[in-house]
Formats: sequence, structure tokens, C-alpha cells
Amino acid sequence: MTQIESVEKLIKKINVTPRAQMHDKTLNDALAAQEKSKNEQSANIEPNIWRIIMKNRITKLATAAAVVLIAVLGITFLDKSVPSAYAIEQTIQANHTVRFLHLKSFIEPNDEPIESWVEFDARGQLKNMRLKKPAWLDPEDGETIIVWKDNKMRLYSKRKNFLFIMKDQEIAAQVLENIELLDPKLAVERLKTEQEQGKVEVVIVEPSNKSEPIIVTATNIEQDNEPFPRAILFVDQATRLVNSVEAYKLEDGEYHKMVTVEYYDYNQPITSEMFTLDDVPDDAVLMDETTQEIGLLQGDFTDNEIAIEVVRQFLQALIDEDYAKAGKMWGAVPADRMKKAYGQTRFIRIISIGEPTEIPAMRALKVPCKIEIEKDGQVSVWEPEHSYVRQVHGQPERWAINGGFYGI
Amino acid sequence: MIEDKLLILRFKHGSQRALARIYEKYEGYLLTLATALLNDVNSAEDIVHDFFVSFAQSADSLRLEGSLKGYLATCVANRTRDTIRKRRRQPDALDESIQIRSNVKGPQSIAMCNEGLQLLSGAIAQLPYEQREVIILHLRGGMKFKAIAQSLNVSINTAQSRYRYGLDKLRTLLDGEV
Repeated sequence: MTQIESVEKLIKKINVTPRAQMHDKTLNDALAAQEKSKNEQSANIEPNIWRIIMKNRITKLATAAAVVLIAVLGITFLDKSVPSAYAIEQTIQANHTVRFLHLKSFIEPNDEPIESWVEFDARGQLKNMRLKKPAWLDPEDGETIIVWKDNKMRLYSKRKNFLFIMKDQEIAAQVLENIELLDPKLAVERLKTEQEQGKVEVVIVEPSNKSEPIIVTATNIEQDNEPFPRAILFVDQATRLVNSVEAYKLEDGEYHKMVTVEYYDYNQPITSEMFTLDDVPDDAVLMDETTQEIGLLQGDFTDNEIAIEVVRQFLQALIDEDYAKAGKMWGAVPADRMKKAYGQTRFIRIISIGEPTEIPAMRALKVPCKIEIEKDGQVSVWEPEHSYVRQVHGQPERWAINGGFYGI
Repeated sequence: MIEDKLLILRFKHGSQRALARIYEKYEGYLLTLATALLNDVNSAEDIVHDFFVSFAQSADSLRLEGSLKGYLATCVANRTRDTIRKRRRQPDALDESIQIRSNVKGPQSIAMCNEGLQLLSGAIAQLPYEQREVIILHLRGGMKFKAIAQSLNVSINTAQSRYRYGLDKLRTLLDGEV
């Protein structure tokens, strides 16, 4: 090693550890500055979050939260300056005491709802969640039960009969963040912003018949880029809690109902069994990303390089009929299951593997590739449409296939 | 990194968790860069602090074309350069290199920096800032010469020349020590 190389190596080793005191001060100051900035700016964040969540297959769990979010959107739109015996603060105050939620979200034109059960802790943050996802939402996985508990996600697909377990700080943070949007305190902040900016028109109808709900129609004045510019809330006159919310999109000058969220059993304690997945069949295929090493170690590879290498090794394992290795590259899929999915095809050779492109919404890289295969006596070139590679959940130093080649 | 893209996305949507995560992830890296550039931990802490407070308010205007890490490094380097310029403009300021050398021997710096690197820090402090900047950003910041050249508004050749001259001088200063 030359002296220059020694110097270079030494410089790379320079490291300064932040002092705890300064660390906390900087973080607190930055968070305070961000909060102040948010209050001062027009933070029209909700519709964007909705779009992100709906695009993100990884965080399907958050779908229910996103649908619930629409309810918060409605709350946000309310204007307390409108003369009425009813005031939004009453609903917000009522929400303070809500620890358990059971809700059904209907998305047009589907009849079967997304059903979820949510438990918040004393601070209003997500503690446990169960989500029943109908087949129409994801035909590939079919009807799916997702349970969120202790920052660990368990997903069971009836159609595929597999149980997928993962733990990932980033996704945990994302789910928690989405749920935080339900926090009444945050809703109040958004309400204030909307009030100050005069962005909404609100009509409140409070029937004299106390058995009928208060109807609050909030229409966003600036409708450009708003996926749901109108929300209608139905508020119980006695409890001041929201019974249901309807969200509307604007098309050709007319409002069309897109989503209905119905709330049931406010604060009825949900049994702990609801937040387990003990009812999964014994023969379900277990894909547990929390207990084994998956995919390849990134080491000195760049993201693109490791993504290409994962695909190369995965395809080579199929060519070699090494289904155990292929399963490991995929993400803890047992060998027999891999063989069942891929064993009917003879993988002849890799024709090409191209440069990856980022798919941020999936937190994945798409790696284009071509493989010569033989199936049913026919030789052809296979170009998988969804050849994704991603960092393993909870093992960010490792990368694995993210599905989409063949269905498992 | 994909995680960074997601963090930025969420940060732009107002997420406090995303900001905290960005801070936790890159605080040490940026403090190391600033300290290596200034050879003064206290000033480096101030720069990182001021930068993050400013960054926290930039969600609406932030437009990232490259990596988050590179962006953060460039911002901190820019602030560090401004600090150096301000020092130079102050008529009663101590000679920069003398000040830096004196600071590096302070108890806090010694406690916070890796052992055995004080000698190197002292030598780096004797380099002209332009050379020091390219060396630190490239070797410790992991930035490519192209990105460094763009952030400094100089040609790639100039950035590489500064790197070579700086390393040569470091080798001479540290002759026999490494």
C-alpha cells in the first residue's frame, strides 16, 4: 500500500460521534421548526398520502388507515364559523376518548367492504390492528387477513394459503404515521389551517328530530388535484361521534360518491384474539422474514449491482433447479412451494439482465430481464413484467426478490 | 437509497418521524464532514444544528435530483465554506490554521474524535480549504468528483487537481507518520 493510499484510508476512518446533549437539542429544534413551518404553509398533505398508500403494495395494511383518513379529511374541512348548534369541537372532544374502532370502508363500485378493527393506546397511537382485505382489492393475493401487533405484521392469504410475517421499522413508522392522522389533536391543527385559509365551504344541517344525524357537507373550494373534493359526514346527535363519512370525486361537473366509511361499536373493547392470527390452517406456507436470513448481503455492491445480482442468482437457481436457493432469494419461500410454482417450466438460459429502475412507491428496484424457457414443449422468451428486487424487511443490509416473477 | 426516497416523500408530506429518521441517519455523517472541514467540533455542531433547523422548514421547496446523502453533504459543505469565509473577513480573527490546530487539541475534540486521528486532523487543517474540501467530500463524504465539481461550480479537472495536490501535501506533512 502506498503512502497516498494509507492517507486515503485514514481519512475514510475519520468519525465524530455526536454528543447526546447536542443531538437532542438539534432534533428538538428541527422538529419545532418543522411544526412551525407546517402551520404557516398550506400543507395540503392528505390527498397525496392517500395516493401514495393506494399505490404502495407493500403497505397494503395501511389501506384501511387511508380510508379512515378520509374521515379526517372531512373533519378538516369543517368550519366552526358556520352558525349551528353543532360545533366540530364536540366531535373532536368525543374522539379524545375513543380507544377502539370498528369500521367498514366501502369503495365504489364494490359491495364487499374493507373491514378493520383498531385499538389505540392511551396516547391515541396505534396499538393493534386487524384488517380484512377483500379479494377484489388484490386479486393476486385474494382475501387477506392482516394483523398488526407489536410492530410486527402478519399477513395471511387464503387463496395462496401462506402466512407472511415481517418486521420493518420503516414500514412500522409509515403505518403508525398514517394512523396518527386520526389523532384528534392533529385534526384540530388542520382544521385551524383550513379555517384560516378559507379553503372550504361548509353546510351543516342539524335536524330537529334528534334520532337523525347531523349532516355536514364540506366542499373544497380549490378543487384542482383533490381526489375527493367533497366529504359528507353523518354525526350522531347524542354522542357527537361520526357514524359515517362519504367522500366524493368531481367528474364532468358532478360529484360521485367513491368511498363510504361506516363506524361501529365505538369504544367497545376488542378481544385480544382479534389481534392474533391463530386461526391460520396448519398447512399454511410460512414465510417468516423475522427469523431467517433472506436474499443476498449487499456488502460493497451498489443498490443497482445487488439488485442485478439477486435476479441473476435467482434465475440461475431456477436453471439449476435449486429451489431451496431460489426460495431463499425470493424471501423465505419453502423449496417445495418454489418447485410447485416453477417446476413445470424448464429454465434454459439467461438472455439478458438490464439496468434497474427505481419504483419508489414499492421501495423496490425493477430489474428487466429475459430468460429462455421451455414449457409444454414450447421454447420461448420470458420477460417477467414485475421483476422487482427490494431490501428485506427488517434486514436492510440484505436484498431479495419482491415477487412478480411467477405467482407463488 | 430507496429508503431515502421514501423518507423524503414523507418529509415533504410533513412527517415528523421522517425528519427525525433523516436526522438520526445522517447526523453523525454530517457532523464528521463538518468537523473534518473545520477541524472544530463546536463550530461543526453549530453548522449541523443550523442546517437541520433550516432543512426542517424546507419541505415545500425541497427539490432533490440526486441522492439525499449527497444533498445533505453539499448543504453542510456550503455552510462550512460560508463559516470559513466569515472568519476570514473578521479582521481580528485568529489565523484559521492556528485556530484549528489549537481547537483540535481541546479536550472535547479529543474525546469526540477517534484516537490516533488527531495528527491527521492537524495535517488536514494545514491544507488550503479548497483542497481540504474536495478531499473530505470525496473520501469521507463518499461524493463523486462530478458531484463535488458541480457543488463547487468548478470543472471536474479542477476538483481532481485539488484532490491530487491536497493528498500530495498531506503525504508530505504526514511523512513517516502513517
